Parts: sequence; C-alpha cells; structure tokens
Amino acid sequence: MDCRPVTVPFAHASEAEMSRILDFYAVRWEYEPHTFPILWNLDGDVVESFAPDFFLPDLDLYLEMTTLRQKLVRKKNRKLRRLRELYPDLNVKLFYARDFRALMLKYGRLALIDGLSGTLGQVAAPHGSPEVPGPGPRDTPPVDSATVGGPSVSVAGRKRAGRRRVAAPEASINEGAIQA
Amino acid sequence: MNQSITLHSDVAQILLTEDEIATKVRELGARISSDYRDRPLTLVSVLKGSLPFMADLMRAIDIPVRIDLMEVSSYGGSSTESSGLVRILKDLSASIVGEDVLIVEDIIDTGLTLNYLIRYLRGKAPASLRICTLLDKPARRLVEIKLDYTGFTIPDQFVVGYGLDYGELYRNLRYVGVLRPEVYSGAPEG
Repeated sequence: MDCRPVTVPFAHASEAEMSRILDFYAVRWEYEPHTFPILWNLDGDVVESFAPDFFLPDLDLYLEMTTLRQKLVRKKNRKLRRLRELYPDLNVKLFYARDFRALMLKYGRLALIDGLSGTLGQVAAPHGSPEVPGPGPRDTPPVDSATVGGPSVSVAGRKRAGRRRVAAPEASINEGAIQA
Repeated sequence: MNQSITLHSDVAQILLTEDEIATKVRELGARISSDYRDRPLTLVSVLKGSLPFMADLMRAIDIPVRIDLMEVSSYGGSSTESSGLVRILKDLSASIVGEDVLIVEDIIDTGLTLNYLIRYLRGKAPASLRICTLLDKPARRLVEIKLDYTGFTIPDQFVVGYGLDYGELYRNLRYVGVLRPEVYSGAPEG
C-alpha cells in the first residue's frame, strides 16, 4: 500500500485535525467524496447541495464539522435537517464546536483550540503538514432561494470526485494484527 | 492547568458516589458471573483508566477468571504535535485464541479507542469478545459499538476520578466527579 502522506486541501483546521485523529485510530476516511442535492428550482436544476466533510466507509458514517459562528451553525443545521428528510438512510453526524472542544480536551490539546476552530481555523494546512494555520478567507457555497424539490427529481452528484485518504493500519499497528 | 492541584476542590460536582459505584460494580459482577457460568473468562483491562474498575469488578465476579492488561497510546499523547499512529504500548501477556474475552473499560465516549481495540483483539481469534464499561457517554459517540455491560450512562461533562484523569491526575478519587472548567480552560465553559 502507498503510505505516502496525501495532501488534502482542507477548508478548515478542525477538519485537518479530525483527519489526523481518524488516521491515528486507523479509521479510513474520505474528504467530501459525495455531494447531495437538497434544493431544486422549478426547472429541476439543483440550486443547493450538501457535501459532508468526511465519509467513513467502514462505519458508513458521514461527519460534518462545524466550528464556526452560530449563524453558520444554524444554516448548517437547516441543511442537515433537509438532508435527513431527503436521504433518511444516510448516517450523518454533525460535529459542533463544543464537540470539537471536548475532543481537544480529551486529547490534551485544548491549548490549540483557538487556532483550530472558528474564524482563525479557516484555511487549514494540508493534511500531513505540521500545522497550525493562520486566518484566511474561505469560499462559502452560495445559498439561493428556490423552490423546494425532492430527491426523485435528481440525486445526481453523489459521486462527485472527493479526496480520499485511506489509513494504513498495517503500517500503524504493532504486529499487524488489525483487521481493517 | 493550575499549578496548584487541590484534588477534591477541583471537582465541581460529584456525579457518582463511592457507594453508587460499588453497588453498580457488584451488579455487573453478578450479571457477568451468571452469563459466563461454566465458561472460562478472560478480563482484559485497558490501562490506565480502567484499573480501579477492573480491580473491583474482578472481585465482584464469583467464577474463575483470568485477567490481562493492555495499554494503547492516546492521540495527543505526550506532545502537542500530532502524534502519528496509535500503538499498542502493552500487549496481552497470554494468548486469547478460543477464549471468551471481556474488555473492561472505564469510559466509552467517541468509541475510537475501543473500535481500534476490538479490531485488534478480533485478530487474535477469541471465541467471543464483549464489552463492559463503567461509564458510557453517548453524546460524544463517533463509532457506534454495542456495549454488553454498562454501569452508568453519563451526561456530556468532563469527568475525573475512579481511574479517570485530567493530565494524569485525579485518578485516585474514590468517586466520579465533574472537573471545574476553570481547571482546564482558565474560564467557565460556555
């Protein structure tokens, strides 16, 4: 297996940190591999979609990190509700700022929290870089007002090309006994 | 962290008293004894946090048991830099091939460590592998894992005591308590 570090252009430092945690525990992940349409206009065109930050294939779990301002959290909550309505079989977990803070506390990395969350955490160092990122702009996907559609109109985009990272448990575990 | 560790006064609230823990451990011991009657059982404790729970639980079980200890490195570890990949710091000292194994944990929150351990131990071909945890904090769960024996389901608070630490301290508290936020953050948590 190719174990070279993969450079993933994370949009936020908290995402990069989460990727390192998942790597540490040999949990395979993919970064934004799937995009789910959640809003269509009257012509059936997709006007809003949701691409959860991580997909953990072995757990069949999508993970969305949101360590930003409350206004953006509300927007994300709304999108997540819509996603769950349209795709009830998807297993999606929203990871709030407080969840991330608790994770950092658990791992004794609370001192880094300011650099890894909120506005300061935007524009992360690529995966495999030593970190810690500085502030910078982030493109926010436009949210257009439009007529609510449904998944029967279109579910295109599920296979949008994402960045994949497959942890290499054989290389990470003593005696190589893990069944990844 | 504060330079002056005051132990009991750093605890904002006692979540589980010594008596409550002891009662629950006896209940768990009785259940495990019944479920594994006539089946040789190996208890695998995960250092360091589960040490007090293991010590009490094994004495609450009245069937023959073997015990073994494991230690797994934690993310963050001893430095503030990302710390690579999880490692088994202490492996089992005996084979568990064909054995009934019960993992004894102090707390399950994200499930990441336990998920790793389960995969690792399954590779050692036990006859069965089940989980016993004193504390379950489901609000933090990332990896859903079936817990066979659970002592207490606790709220989403940072707890110490009865083996659980913050900065390697507070493990020797006889109870489980909620650590004052100012101890680890310098300010109350929002």
